Amino acid sequence: MYELFKNLGGWLTSGEQWAGPDGIATRLAEHLQYSLLATLVAAAIGLPLGLLIGHTGKGAFVAINLSSFGRALPTVGLVVLVFLASGLSMWPVYVALVALAVPALVTNTYAGMTAVDPDVKDAARGQGMRGHQVLLQVELPLALPLIMTGLRLALIQVVATATIAAYVSFGGLGRYVFDGLAQRDLVQVMGGAVLVAVIAVALDVTLAALQRFLFRHRTA
Amino acid sequence: MNRRTLLGGLFAAASVPALSACSSGITSLDGEGTTTSGGGSSKGGLTIGTANFTENQVLGYLYAAVLDAVGVKTTVRPNLGTREILIPALKGGDIDLLPEYQGALLHYLDPKAAATEEGEMQNSLAMALPASLQVLPYGLAEDSDAFAVTRETAEKYGLISLADLKKHNGKLVIGAAAEVKARQVGAVGLKDVYGVEFKEFKSLDSSGPLVKGALKKGDIDVANLFTTDTDIQANGWVVLTDPKNLIPGQHVVPLIADRKADSTVRKALAGLGNVLTTADLTELNRQVDKDKKDPEDVARAYAQQKGLVK
Amino acid sequence: MTIDWSWISGHTDDLTTLTVSHLQAALSAVLLGLLISLPLAVVAHRVRPLRGFLLGLSNVLFTIPSIAVFVLLLPVSGLTRTTTVIGLTIYTLVVLLRNTVEGLDSVPTRTKEAAKAMGTRPLRTLLTVEFPLALPVIMAGVRIATVMSISLVSVATYIGDGGLGQLFTDGFQRNFPTPVIVGVVLTLLLAVVADALLVAVQYVLTPWTRRRA
Repeated sequence: MYELFKNLGGWLTSGEQWAGPDGIATRLAEHLQYSLLATLVAAAIGLPLGLLIGHTGKGAFVAINLSSFGRALPTVGLVVLVFLASGLSMWPVYVALVALAVPALVTNTYAGMTAVDPDVKDAARGQGMRGHQVLLQVELPLALPLIMTGLRLALIQVVATATIAAYVSFGGLGRYVFDGLAQRDLVQVMGGAVLVAVIAVALDVTLAALQRFLFRHRTA
Repeated sequence: MNRRTLLGGLFAAASVPALSACSSGITSLDGEGTTTSGGGSSKGGLTIGTANFTENQVLGYLYAAVLDAVGVKTTVRPNLGTREILIPALKGGDIDLLPEYQGALLHYLDPKAAATEEGEMQNSLAMALPASLQVLPYGLAEDSDAFAVTRETAEKYGLISLADLKKHNGKLVIGAAAEVKARQVGAVGLKDVYGVEFKEFKSLDSSGPLVKGALKKGDIDVANLFTTDTDIQANGWVVLTDPKNLIPGQHVVPLIADRKADSTVRKALAGLGNVLTTADLTELNRQVDKDKKDPEDVARAYAQQKGLVK
Repeated sequence: MTIDWSWISGHTDDLTTLTVSHLQAALSAVLLGLLISLPLAVVAHRVRPLRGFLLGLSNVLFTIPSIAVFVLLLPVSGLTRTTTVIGLTIYTLVVLLRNTVEGLDSVPTRTKEAAKAMGTRPLRTLLTVEFPLALPVIMAGVRIATVMSISLVSVATYIGDGGLGQLFTDGFQRNFPTPVIVGVVLTLLLAVVADALLVAVQYVLTPWTRRRA
């Protein structure tokens, strides 16, 4: 065990390991690219959907069930299915990652919207605000903390799961995990896993800081 | 009678007499072990592990079919991964028997191994294996690694043999299973023996959908495939010749844990090895990959057809 | 992308075996996860300084890719079911631990004090008062953990296990969509049925929560 950690230290700190087209720097950038793009697309789908359901109150049943349905969807199966349909491309990776992130975003956005005090909404309408003004100026800001929670949860899951890109021949930190499995090189596997965990935690901390910054004027 | 195993036996007797006292059984004339270390028993049944590609699963189920026929209970565990995963599992006792390939196995055990002739390799294998494992006599069927390019690539770069790749060092991309990157019969050997350096090594799979898809699409220039893959012919791909014999002979050979190797198992597997040809194996692979038949059904039907199973 | 129906009808036995094996792996992981989480949650609930550490640890474990966990367990437990179950258990902890702690937190202090005043011993209070009152929140965690595990089992196909996940690698290697589609559908069905059963279990276990008609 000690040996493994010592080798891991060497692996993570070797300059040679960081450089080149299959170096850690490239893999890290690829991993971030897959994760951030997928989360962004998922947000573009999930946020409006959650806001709409929360604002209109229609489709709540869908929102609630979507979350458990989404959690049950096996990522490996989805990746393979899209691979068989689309051939060798990035589609399988992005479809699977977006499908993973959307439910968390929809349900948290919806939850944030339902948590908004109905009296506040009534008051806003009473002041003559229109539907979309209530949504954008009252409900959205109040729902934002829970929306951010959903975004953070989605991002963590996407970062951990973006490993799967390596299964269908692409890069990212999953390369180390899958190649390490094939070569039974545990140091490489562990190195990949540690890096994934580090960027997941780092992104989460960044979003948490952003969240605090955005709500710094608000007294809880 | 299998001439190659006979030669192997003579070679063994001549070159490694000192080993006869302690080595595992390495050769036989008729499937009965002649130099076994004994003590193995298949009474409790055995678990057959197979690697993550079609052919290995077909072989695993063929082993199961002939062993079941002689009353040895078997469990087949398909798709366990690569040799790098399987051999530790064999040592650790998770599995007991594994369809292997002579040259690839030898290079895994001893990357510096020089043997290329079947009998020689069989002896080197016996020496390189830990005491707890042994190889049984190898069969007729052979499945080598091949490095193939599309016809267009071959014409464009003037590629006929592996040696021609050197002219384009730093320009071509090779695609193979991840483990091939660190293997002698792979990126390492191509560099050592032919001085070939690729622009990039793409980790794909073992003659599977990724490597073939990438070759078709032009994502890679050179693909590591298996010679028993019918897609090579179907697509008109060019297999580069190997003038310096980097790629060793790859006869199918059962690798078994010593604790399970008894004469019943030896006899049954030798019977299969002496019947199953490369052409047969290629056809069985095709039935699984193209006709989408189960490897288990394909194997059983073959064993029945050849009278290996009643 | 056509479905080969004859493949499905010809493989009902295999599909049953894989489904049972899949469910067994997921349920073992949730049970093991509960065995670990319940005592740890009591510790996290009572010993404030440990709370952040334990919850934080389970969060960090959650960020490690599951495939890596399975591979790293190979030297310990080999190519066995044990590897699959241990790996899955790690991921159940994040939900089970947090929900159990939150459930215990939600028990009103007055209730605990009343139990104490009646001379009930602490362990007895924990088992007969606190856990039952925390049950709805714990069960919500169990439901999430179960569904998550059912979806995650298939990752173990990379180490030769994985229940229905084997259909994914098989279909992938042979460019054969039918097993993959069947695998995805069965996984979803399994999750829906398991979730519904857990709702029923919760209904039976917590009669005091069904006041409203």
